[in-house]
Amino acid sequence: MERSRDAEPEPEATAGSGVFAAEAEVGRDLAEVDWTSTPLGPPARWPQSLQTAVSILLSSRFSMWMAWGPELTFFCNAAYRRDTLGHKYPWALGRPAHEVWAEIWDDIGPRIDTVMTTGRATWDEGLLLFVQRSGYAEESYHTFSYSPLRDDDGAVVGMLCVVSEETERVIGERRMATLRDLGSDPSVVRTEQEMLTFSDRQLGRNLKDLPFTLTYLFQPDGSAKLAGTTGIPGGHANAPAALPGSGGVWPVEEPAHGESVLVPLDGAPFTGLPTGDWSEPPVQALVVPLQHSGSAPYGFLVAGLNRYRVLDDSYRGFVELVAGHLSAGIASARSYEEQQRRAEDLAELDRAKTTFFSNVSHEFRTPLTLITGPVEELRARLADADAPVREELDAIHRNALRLGKLVNSLLDFSRIEAGRMRARYEPVDLAEVTAELASVFRSAVDKAGLEFDIACSPLAEEVYIDRGMWEKVILNLLSNALKFTFDGSIRVTVHGEGAHAVVEVADTGIGVPAEEMPRLFERFHRIETARSRSTEGSGIGLALVKELVALHGGTITADSTEGEGTCFTIRVPFGGTHLALDTLVPAEGGRVASAADPYLLEALRWLPDEAAGADERTAATAAGTVTSGHTSGPVVPTRILVADDNADMREYLTRLLHGGGYRVDTVDDGLAALQAVRADAPDLVISDVMMPGLDGLTLVTTLRTDPRTSSVPVLLLSARAGQEASIEGLRAGADDYLVKPFAAAELLARVRANVELARLRNHQARWRAALIDSLQEAFFVCDESGAVIEINTAFTDILGYAPEGLPYSPVHPWWPDADSDPEAHHQVSEAFAQLLGNPKGSYTIPVSHRDGHRLWVTATFNHAHDPDTGRQVTVGTFRDVTAEHYAIQRKSAQAALSMRLTQATSLPEALAGVLAELKHLWRAERVLAAVAAAGQETSVTATDADLRWQDLPADRRDKLTAWLDRPPLTPVDDDTGAAIAVNHPEGAMVVWIDFGAHRPFTDEDQLLLSLLAGQLAQGLARAHQIDQQRETAIALQRAILGPSNLPDGFAVRYEPATQPLEVGGDWYDTVRLQDGRIGIVVGDCVGRGLEAATVMGQLRSACRALLLQDASPAQTLMALDRFAAGIPGAVCTTVFCGVLDPDSGHLTYSSAGHPPGILAHPDGTTLLLDEGRSIPLAVRPGRHRPESACTVPARATLLLYTDGLVERRRRPLTAGIIQAGEAVQEGRDAAIDDLATQVMTRLAPADGYDDDVALLLYRHPAPLDVAFRAESSQLAPVRKALRSWLDQCELPPHTVQNILVAAGEACANAIEHGHRDAPGDTIRLRAEALVDDLRLTVADTGRWKTPRPDLNTHRGRGVALMRALMQQVTITSGAAGTTVDMHTRIA
Amino acid sequence: MTTPLTLTPSRRPDGATLLTVVGEIDMSNTDSLATAIETTEGPLVIDLTAVEYLDSAGLSVLFTHTDRIELIASPLLAPILNISGLADLTTVHGLDTPES
Repeated sequence: MERSRDAEPEPEATAGSGVFAAEAEVGRDLAEVDWTSTPLGPPARWPQSLQTAVSILLSSRFSMWMAWGPELTFFCNAAYRRDTLGHKYPWALGRPAHEVWAEIWDDIGPRIDTVMTTGRATWDEGLLLFVQRSGYAEESYHTFSYSPLRDDDGAVVGMLCVVSEETERVIGERRMATLRDLGSDPSVVRTEQEMLTFSDRQLGRNLKDLPFTLTYLFQPDGSAKLAGTTGIPGGHANAPAALPGSGGVWPVEEPAHGESVLVPLDGAPFTGLPTGDWSEPPVQALVVPLQHSGSAPYGFLVAGLNRYRVLDDSYRGFVELVAGHLSAGIASARSYEEQQRRAEDLAELDRAKTTFFSNVSHEFRTPLTLITGPVEELRARLADADAPVREELDAIHRNALRLGKLVNSLLDFSRIEAGRMRARYEPVDLAEVTAELASVFRSAVDKAGLEFDIACSPLAEEVYIDRGMWEKVILNLLSNALKFTFDGSIRVTVHGEGAHAVVEVADTGIGVPAEEMPRLFERFHRIETARSRSTEGSGIGLALVKELVALHGGTITADSTEGEGTCFTIRVPFGGTHLALDTLVPAEGGRVASAADPYLLEALRWLPDEAAGADERTAATAAGTVTSGHTSGPVVPTRILVADDNADMREYLTRLLHGGGYRVDTVDDGLAALQAVRADAPDLVISDVMMPGLDGLTLVTTLRTDPRTSSVPVLLLSARAGQEASIEGLRAGADDYLVKPFAAAELLARVRANVELARLRNHQARWRAALIDSLQEAFFVCDESGAVIEINTAFTDILGYAPEGLPYSPVHPWWPDADSDPEAHHQVSEAFAQLLGNPKGSYTIPVSHRDGHRLWVTATFNHAHDPDTGRQVTVGTFRDVTAEHYAIQRKSAQAALSMRLTQATSLPEALAGVLAELKHLWRAERVLAAVAAAGQETSVTATDADLRWQDLPADRRDKLTAWLDRPPLTPVDDDTGAAIAVNHPEGAMVVWIDFGAHRPFTDEDQLLLSLLAGQLAQGLARAHQIDQQRETAIALQRAILGPSNLPDGFAVRYEPATQPLEVGGDWYDTVRLQDGRIGIVVGDCVGRGLEAATVMGQLRSACRALLLQDASPAQTLMALDRFAAGIPGAVCTTVFCGVLDPDSGHLTYSSAGHPPGILAHPDGTTLLLDEGRSIPLAVRPGRHRPESACTVPARATLLLYTDGLVERRRRPLTAGIIQAGEAVQEGRDAAIDDLATQVMTRLAPADGYDDDVALLLYRHPAPLDVAFRAESSQLAPVRKALRSWLDQCELPPHTVQNILVAAGEACANAIEHGHRDAPGDTIRLRAEALVDDLRLTVADTGRWKTPRPDLNTHRGRGVALMRALMQQVTITSGAAGTTVDMHTRIA
Repeated sequence: MTTPLTLTPSRRPDGATLLTVVGEIDMSNTDSLATAIETTEGPLVIDLTAVEYLDSAGLSVLFTHTDRIELIASPLLAPILNISGLADLTTVHGLDTPES
């Protein structure tokens, strides 16, 4: 109901505006145009075709315009006005199209010419046109088709343009491509110049949106230096290498303050600016700052603007995104450069470190002492204090001890190096001392779950050792063993071996790679190991051990097998003779392991805390979270994950970051860090470089390769600097790198900076996601099985399926239903196979939107490898080509309809053809057209041939009747179909498409139906005209040939060539001459059509007159020669002219170049009448013509014809003549008229005669046909006539007698009945001789009685006689009379 | 108007009456044939040699007099005389000529 109200026309504004009623607004404006001043004249007098076209245009919701008439007068609809015409409306209405589109006429004019001259439609996709619709020449893109519009006579008099504007899409895709290219650089970090060069290369590829660009970077003095250009040559006056801080050609101050400036480029100083991809230079440039988060901008970008686009939000946004990209690139490059510089500085520093430490280490001892002492006191005093206080004190204590140990070691070195080591060697039982030292480590070894085996049997001799030094030797070795041993045991043995005491410290740890063995004892060399309890270590332990053992006059060696373990072997000489005497002291038996605490405490920190037990590690990973108590923190607290194997460092960092307002999670190695990040990515990861399991560098690399974690920022911490891999962190992709020791403030600053940078970068990532989402094309990713696992917004927009439903497994829900639309389903299934099977490709398929409506999409796909899983994925895009699809469908449907309409030879055929086409197009159950002609009952034409109006259900009839009154060409649809009213030449018509079931009838369908219906209306009007013309033509032809009153025994045919409208030049004629003979003429004028027919008519009449004057064929033709010479077009006419005596069968004839007559004898032989021949008419007037004669024997058949009957391409004429003879022979048993039909049928080519055919048959004798009054006195004359005819048939006397008697009996019967019921009525006797059969018919108007011999013996005897004398007797009695039909064989 | 038929009665040497019929016998003139027969008495020989046509109406007249007539006919009439069975009831002469 809603629809029908919408469709109701507005009240008419002015008279004659009915044609504009289809749409209110534009229709009103069209109605106001002064049409009388246009070539089209007032609308009331417009042809039907123009009215149709305007109705379709206005009722369509598709953007369309059309042009009509000699000046191509312009019309458009509301959609076109809105999308394209702009401020030219309503000025453009009714104007010549070349004025309306003067600015693009060079582009579209030739296309329109093509349509107008060839009648073929054009198709342009995304054509660039500069339109003047908004006050300036505007770059715009249009996809459109021009199709011809025809007038009522079928001539092309206008064109219709269906257009969709694609400016937004084309320009959007172009800008998107530039932004995508900008982000396509694979390298993460590079120099500023490299970055700018790369960016310029990308920007230089889009000289449409950015005709030129200049990138200026601010210098410390506030001036700006040119760092990059695109589209403008170096040294250009408007691209100065430097700009002062106050500004020059380009503003500097505003961008320095972060403001954008739009600079007009008209006049000085802007001259000779490049034009980019356009023919004219830009008229504006946008200066955009290169923003630096939290600081003054890096510089600014000058972007020359496309003069053919207005600087709208989208354009401005594009330029700003380009600038943003440049800023991010500069930030990244500068950060990289700074880190590199810092790393190099630190390496230098490291080289000085040893020297420095050596020199100053001992200075540490005093402050250390002053730390450890008071701390110990504090610990004792605060033993009962709060746990946090105690924990912090313990941490201070432990680390003071560790620092002391480190300082001591360094000091030892410096002492040793300076030769100032004061050793005090005392004789000891080395086994006992060593075992005692080793036992200090037992608790730690036990806690690590290792076996601890001490086998120190007393030695025979004493060994001189410095206890302090020896402690360091043994504790270092044990500490080392514990650090690298995870399973098995640690074993310490002491035994004597010759003059030496041998001490072995062996473990079943990870071992030392063979290539590292030579450097094992090298100072500061650390062995990179896959696994250890801690990566902490100064690299001086073993070096010191070696030095210390050497001081004892001993040696140390190491044996190691990777994966099995390591064994250190120390050999020390017995006795003290190898030592300086002044260093020897008596045995003291002093305190054991005075220096053991730092080693032990350190080792214990590597191991899981006893109190927390086995859960401690997981607790640290999963629950080691401290949340900031700061209320002033960020609304969503920033989450930081700390990964460090040093528990103190973890705790310290946690405290520090907690204080900074961050939420902190901690893990104690790289693997745990990886798991934690993957589980829930934090805002920042702070990781130590050196960690057991998975080190920091590997952690970063691993995070970067996984797309899920690649954007998580990582800050690396390291106690190491100066080694060759010091900037590896940045290369691996770390965002920042901080070297221990670091100030808390610096750490917090870096953390803040990195979090912000990451936010900026994530903004980029989010923006990239937005990029994909903003693609107008739908984007999708499929896995190996074809399941869709990722989509963008356009995908959802186009298909209605949202990301929440992912993954979409095949068969995808948007496939057309296999039951209701198997064809479409099959198409999609084939395309899907292609998608899985081919590495790339594209296809166009029908799909169903989630809400059920049909779409057509063109998809393009590529196979790719998912870097994360290594599995094959398919990445694809598609766009909605429904409009294009339907445009093509419209074109082909119109073409198909046009074909149907042109091929049809009558109006009913045209209508039936169109209905069939519509049925096919909409795959409808049926299509019917109901026509209500004035004063007649509604009639129906349908795709079901037998359907009648009465067969339709009453409600359907009512509906159709109602629809008949709707405005023409306005579609309407109901539950089961759609209908449209169309003008029919005989009255109103409604075409109804019956879907058989509910199916959506879309706007597209409506448009198509309107277009086709318009075409149909015009086609029907044309067909109607053709019908009338044909009827006229056929009437004319018949008039020329005459309703020939043929003599008996003749049959004729005239078949015009296939084209039904053509009349031809062939003729036949029979003339009854005064002496009872019959003139026979068959002729053929050159040519076809009306002209030939006219010539034929004259020749025919002339020939007739001549024959009546002088019954000689040769004389007649010679006279006709002279006559024909005076008639244009009569020359070369061929004629067969004969004179036949019907009694004797004597035939004289003469032929003027005509094909020979054929005489078929009853015995099966054939004679060609090929004598008496001469040249065609009027070729040599006056020349004598020969004449010949023959006799047509009884029951022979004569065939005369024109060449159309026998002449075929690529076949000799004689073959056709033989075939014709055979056809006649075969029909010997047929009545003469049936024979004519048989011959025509038999000889007709498959697709009909392509030339006129005239045919004349005569069988001798002619059948006897006598009518007489029902009186017995008539019997004798009738018998006489029959006897005479039978004689002509040349039958034996007794046969004649039998036939006479049988015929006499039949006649006598008829007279008796005729007498009785209606005296004087007519009886008809007819006799016809075939080759071997004779047929006799006697017909009266009476009713016979069943023969009853007892009552009327002789009448009963009569019928018996008939039956006895003839071979077959049939008596048919009816209301109209009685017919006796008798046959007898006569061969 | 009736079909021309000539009926010439005469006396044969053997005393029998001879009726010579010339022409065609059909329903239009059977009455005159019947009258001609009925005006004779006793054995009658009807000569149909010159009769070119005889139909069932004529036969009916002949059938009513089979007890006293004999026929002379040309072979032309043989089929009808045989088919009608008249030849079985009366003596027919002249049918056996070689031309039949």
